[in-house]
Amino acid sequence: MDKTTAIKLTNVSKDYALREKSTLIEKFIKRKNKIFSALKNINLTIQKGERVGIIGSNGSGKTTLLKIIGGITPHTTGIVETYGKIASLIDLEAGFHPDLTGEENIALNGLLVGMNQSEVKENKKKISNFSGIGQFIKRPFYTYSSGMKFRLALAVAVASKCEILLLDEIFLSGDDKFLYKTISWLRGINRRQNLTLVIAAHDPMFVWEFAQRYIMLDHGKIVELSINDVMSIRRKNASLWKKIFPHTI
Amino acid sequence: MLFTMKSEIQHFWELLWAMTEKELRSRYKYTIFGFFWLVANPIMQMVIIYFVFSFFMKEPIAHYQYYLFIGLLVWNFFSLSLTKGTPCIVNERSLIKKARFPVSVVPLSIILSNFIHFILALILFVIPVLFLGTLSFIHLPHIFFGLVLLLGFTIGLSLLTSALNVRFRDVNFFVQALLIIWFYATPIVYSISVIPYKFMWLWRLNPMTSVVQLMQYGFLGISPPGIAMLSSNIIVTIMIFLLGLSVFRSESKNFDDWI
Repeated sequence: MDKTTAIKLTNVSKDYALREKSTLIEKFIKRKNKIFSALKNINLTIQKGERVGIIGSNGSGKTTLLKIIGGITPHTTGIVETYGKIASLIDLEAGFHPDLTGEENIALNGLLVGMNQSEVKENKKKISNFSGIGQFIKRPFYTYSSGMKFRLALAVAVASKCEILLLDEIFLSGDDKFLYKTISWLRGINRRQNLTLVIAAHDPMFVWEFAQRYIMLDHGKIVELSINDVMSIRRKNASLWKKIFPHTI
Repeated sequence: MLFTMKSEIQHFWELLWAMTEKELRSRYKYTIFGFFWLVANPIMQMVIIYFVFSFFMKEPIAHYQYYLFIGLLVWNFFSLSLTKGTPCIVNERSLIKKARFPVSVVPLSIILSNFIHFILALILFVIPVLFLGTLSFIHLPHIFFGLVLLLGFTIGLSLLTSALNVRFRDVNFFVQALLIIWFYATPIVYSISVIPYKFMWLWRLNPMTSVVQLMQYGFLGISPPGIAMLSSNIIVTIMIFLLGLSVFRSESKNFDDWI
């Protein structure tokens, strides 16, 4: 590998064991579980500073791919290499405790994404300012709206000085103002700090503003998309939208 | 390499402490009496058990209220740690889905926070015992060793049950049932001297016997565990500890797939 590689997957597969019932006794009666292959022989190299959009319908393996890159879930076969500190924004509630206040959660979440105690202390103010959730920072997390949860999670990831950021589409749910702030921030930091960005979405529309390279996942297999492919998907989706909602413009 | 090792260890401890703090903070949140429950619980238990058992105790145990209380404190730490520790990986799934981090801090933080509570309650317990005059500095090593044994056994067992509970949720129910029986299989409300010798091997398999006996001896001067009891209990503790550690280590990689 060379120094410019951020993520390299070689022949990576992921199988999930399916089980209808999960009891101890069943384990001993029939040992073999049914298997669901979420990812099949994925080969993917992402350079440092690249902004990659992963497109695919629900259940195509987008989130699994992000989780494997982030080291949250183990891969079944193949080699996963990552170079640089990774932060992931995959699950909205992940890494937060509902009963703790925003401030207390910042401390916990910061440590979880790999900051140390002094970094957390230094950045506390910055994080709560960036998240822009105001006085809610002193209120318990369960009182937050989805947008607020997202802001807080992103703000912590920003402060963690990660080199690779993994984003799932759920994280594009903030309001317009915040989305604008997020987009401009992500672009800025991508340019300045060579942040590698991997974003998953079911429609290229969502990652249009971020991505410079598109990858499609289809039933666990990977396809590199040209810009023309992406445009035709967008057109197809647009006409589909018109069919579903004929009265919108 | 050495540097990353050092910072990894430091990160582990910082994370463990932050999680413990979280446990401590969230436990008595939205309660009116807060830390009062720390001692109120064992006192209530002690009063009831004292009332009931003093009717049919053949040989009265000296300072029976204190005897009960120290046993209950130890037991409450153990059973609470196991009750909360066994399902903790499943309960804290939101953390595990966030990032790769040393997952063992989740059960360990529960045990540590319980241990802090336990030590605080123990300190409060010392005050009346001082008036009893059974406490002396010579007994301090026994108390200390009892605590080490208790901590080692609780950590080992909690790692084991919490790791297994991710795949087999039956483990949680099993632990609940086991704890009820286990309470009576530990000399908390009775003295070990009433157990016929032919059944003694059962208590030798139960490391809680030595822990409770060491504490009873340390604080109240009631007969310490014998050599056979102590050594067999220590062996069981070491075995459970190593088993828990290795099972947790091999299972923790796959936690995300099962929660």
